[in-house]
Amino acid sequence: MISKKLAIDVLNEALATGADYAEIFYEDSNSYGVSIENGKVETSSSSSMCGAAIRLLKDNQCIYGYTNDLTKKGLLELARSLRASLHGERLITVTKLDMIRAKNRNPIVRSYNDVPRSEKIALIKEGTDYIASLKDPRLVRYIGSFGDNHRFIAVFNSKGKWFKRESEFGRLAFQVVAADQTGFETGFEGPGAQQDISYFHTVVNPVDCAKRAVRVALQNLGAKECPSGKMPVIIGNGWGGVLFHESCGHPLEASAVAKGLSCFAGKEGELIASPLVSAVDDSTMPQAWGSIDIDDEGNLGTKRQLIKNGKLTDFMIDDLNGRRMNREGNGACRRQNYRYIPTSRMSNTYIENGKSTPEEIIAATKLGLYTVGFNGGSVDPSTGEFNFGCSEAYIVRDGKICEPVKGATLIGKGFEILKNIDMVGNDLALGQGMCGASSGSIRTNVGQPTLRISECVVGGRGGELK
Amino acid sequence: MKYDKFFELAKLAGIEEAELFISQSYNLSFSLFHGEVDNYSSNNGFSIQARGLVNGKFGAASCDVFNKEKAEYLVREIVANAKVIENEDPQIIFHGSPKYKKINTFNPSLEKISVEEKIEKVKGLDAAIRSYDPRIVEVQAVEYSESKSVTTLMNSRGLKLSQKSNYFVVVGVALAMENGQVKSGYDLVLDNDFSKVDIPALGAKIGKKTVEQLGGEPCDSNQYKVVLSPSVVSSFMSALIDSASAEEVQKHSSFFEGKLGSKVASSKITIEDKPLARNVFSKWFDDEGVATSNRAIIKNGVLECYLHNLTTAAKEGVESTGNGHRYGSRIEVGPTFLCLKPGKKSLEELFAEVGNGIYVTEVSGLHAGLNAQSGNFSLQSSGFLIENGKQGRGLDIITVSGNLLDVFKDVETVGGNVEVSPSGTSCPSIIVKELTITGK
Repeated sequence: MISKKLAIDVLNEALATGADYAEIFYEDSNSYGVSIENGKVETSSSSSMCGAAIRLLKDNQCIYGYTNDLTKKGLLELARSLRASLHGERLITVTKLDMIRAKNRNPIVRSYNDVPRSEKIALIKEGTDYIASLKDPRLVRYIGSFGDNHRFIAVFNSKGKWFKRESEFGRLAFQVVAADQTGFETGFEGPGAQQDISYFHTVVNPVDCAKRAVRVALQNLGAKECPSGKMPVIIGNGWGGVLFHESCGHPLEASAVAKGLSCFAGKEGELIASPLVSAVDDSTMPQAWGSIDIDDEGNLGTKRQLIKNGKLTDFMIDDLNGRRMNREGNGACRRQNYRYIPTSRMSNTYIENGKSTPEEIIAATKLGLYTVGFNGGSVDPSTGEFNFGCSEAYIVRDGKICEPVKGATLIGKGFEILKNIDMVGNDLALGQGMCGASSGSIRTNVGQPTLRISECVVGGRGGELK
Repeated sequence: MKYDKFFELAKLAGIEEAELFISQSYNLSFSLFHGEVDNYSSNNGFSIQARGLVNGKFGAASCDVFNKEKAEYLVREIVANAKVIENEDPQIIFHGSPKYKKINTFNPSLEKISVEEKIEKVKGLDAAIRSYDPRIVEVQAVEYSESKSVTTLMNSRGLKLSQKSNYFVVVGVALAMENGQVKSGYDLVLDNDFSKVDIPALGAKIGKKTVEQLGGEPCDSNQYKVVLSPSVVSSFMSALIDSASAEEVQKHSSFFEGKLGSKVASSKITIEDKPLARNVFSKWFDDEGVATSNRAIIKNGVLECYLHNLTTAAKEGVESTGNGHRYGSRIEVGPTFLCLKPGKKSLEELFAEVGNGIYVTEVSGLHAGLNAQSGNFSLQSSGFLIENGKQGRGLDIITVSGNLLDVFKDVETVGGNVEVSPSGTSCPSIIVKELTITGK
């Protein structure tokens, strides 16, 4: 850990050439991962990460560097090398550092570092033993894994503030490969939480997770190819929120909005979605996968109402991009670790509940696609063009869920799709994902209730929908 | 602290054989917006990955600082991790290959050019892109990143290998607009010879790629004969060759199982792994210390070999092919620099051969829309119509669906328009008899 006295010295050294903001980001984290393949523990590995980064801002410019040399000499050297990019007079001198106290909504009750390996292995084996007990020759390969991460960060900045944040995450995952004479299919289930290991016994259950992965893989073996073309699409709750994450979440990050590079830039107050759609990004949900009490630059976590009844109301903002928007950061500044320049990112992002029941939405659909499981997707925030792949989908006919289909990919432009949402359910759920962007791979929750898009382009190999 | 200390501690702790994989890097990057530097970073990175055998089982640990405390951490974690391993596959710390073909992948001239000079040159890309066409309304980013790294593998059996390499990437991203339609495009140069950066040419290429998409509309959903761009071929070829991993074959999850010596692709297809190709992707030893060599994986459509690391090779009683690749603490199996052997025809000649069809230039969302295990894919794509043997109008928002095995079986012609991709492949375009395109 860096002492406050050393932090003040380093900040002042860094500020000597006219930076208008300086920050030291210290990180000491460790993680563990174990995987079991076809019933036997195959890998077990530990890693430790410890380093510090310095970020200098001057107007709209950011200068960044990191080091693993945490001695006074190492940190001062880094400060000097970075400040050499600026050539002005000193604007700020730091004399003291006061602690920012954030509410601790994500307390560590029982640290993963105190949980023996055998307990983590036993947890996975509950699921993999279940798969083995099926004795289904089509299940050629199945992998269960558990990973946990303990992260401590401390940030000191030229506003005379400092804070620390300690957090822990665990994730259990099952991956199944099924094969028959028609070929191979896969199934995956991987719940995670910012909670201790008891979560995986109480809230989720290893056997249920394994069952779901097996079911998807086996179901897809026999499934027909998904039909293609424009059709009504019902998107299931939970992980279905990846649609909003890609099509709308990324374009609402200040990193795209501030420079006018988002399809939603300059549209605050405008109707950008169906009036049925209200959406939030909330980093204050207790113990949720994407929650942070305080962000990587010292702004407190908040609940941001992004869309209210279809109108664009807010963005995810970090201080630097906020400068171009005449806005302050709103607690959305995040980075994977000290090696990444932080920027505005999502946390727990979801579409809020509507009034329909999922059953009503299905009953109201004459012919379309019902998607339940998803592989993820991607988006170009400037054009709004997105895609996401479905791992579990069914045809809906005359208001009833019919045969499963595989290989569906949904594509479109976010700003068009949001307007085409014509029914929103009341069964909001969240799904845990890893989101990759310029500041690295971070934990985010996606979420939504079941909803319907009146018309969406579906790509698949099954010909026309009949 | 010397690394010897780690090996001493490991021995004392009962670790039979141990290995360190150390990577030291210097990274420089900057991005420009409207010609001004908006992000600048320069770093010295360090990481150390350690493995050790205890009772014949591997335990693994890694860290990013090396001192006495961390050496003790590595040893402690290796022992604790090895104790829980149940897998009985042969685990090997390598004594070394009889011969290594050292190749130079470091270009000292790159670091002799000052940062100011690099910024000055790259700065010109913004204007070069804009000058291509007035419909380019924004240059979203111009970025330069450079990396110099030294990778060292050392183990308790006396093997010590080290490779120094460097490269840079210059990338530009543009935005074009016309009649309310917005399209983005990008391109990049990856090399370790800065004199090869031709800013006006790169700017024009990015400008063309962006603007030519304007005015696009979806096509009718149907089966089409297609030309795939080199970058699309690269993505498909890499996913196909995932299944040539002996690990996938041994674990019964590869569609190439039992296909050695059989025809798995069109006889026009020859795919080689060329780790010794003398470019920025080259590696003369793999991540387990085995000497690499060039080899054909698919030759004239016939599957010639599986790729091996030490463990998969030992299981079959063959030699490792030098394809051990570190993925976190795991040593997986993969190619280093995949090359599809080119034919002779130019892109224009391929269009002429197709007559009427579709030219697929890009595919997105591979992690979600392509299942390497089954080979099935359904991907958001960009492209153009091919009409009367020539490139026609752009296609807005389409998907391309099919199966990788079918794609490579249905290849009618391999082009000569080779491009090296930043993911470490070299490919030309190909003509595929039929793929499903969804438009309107």
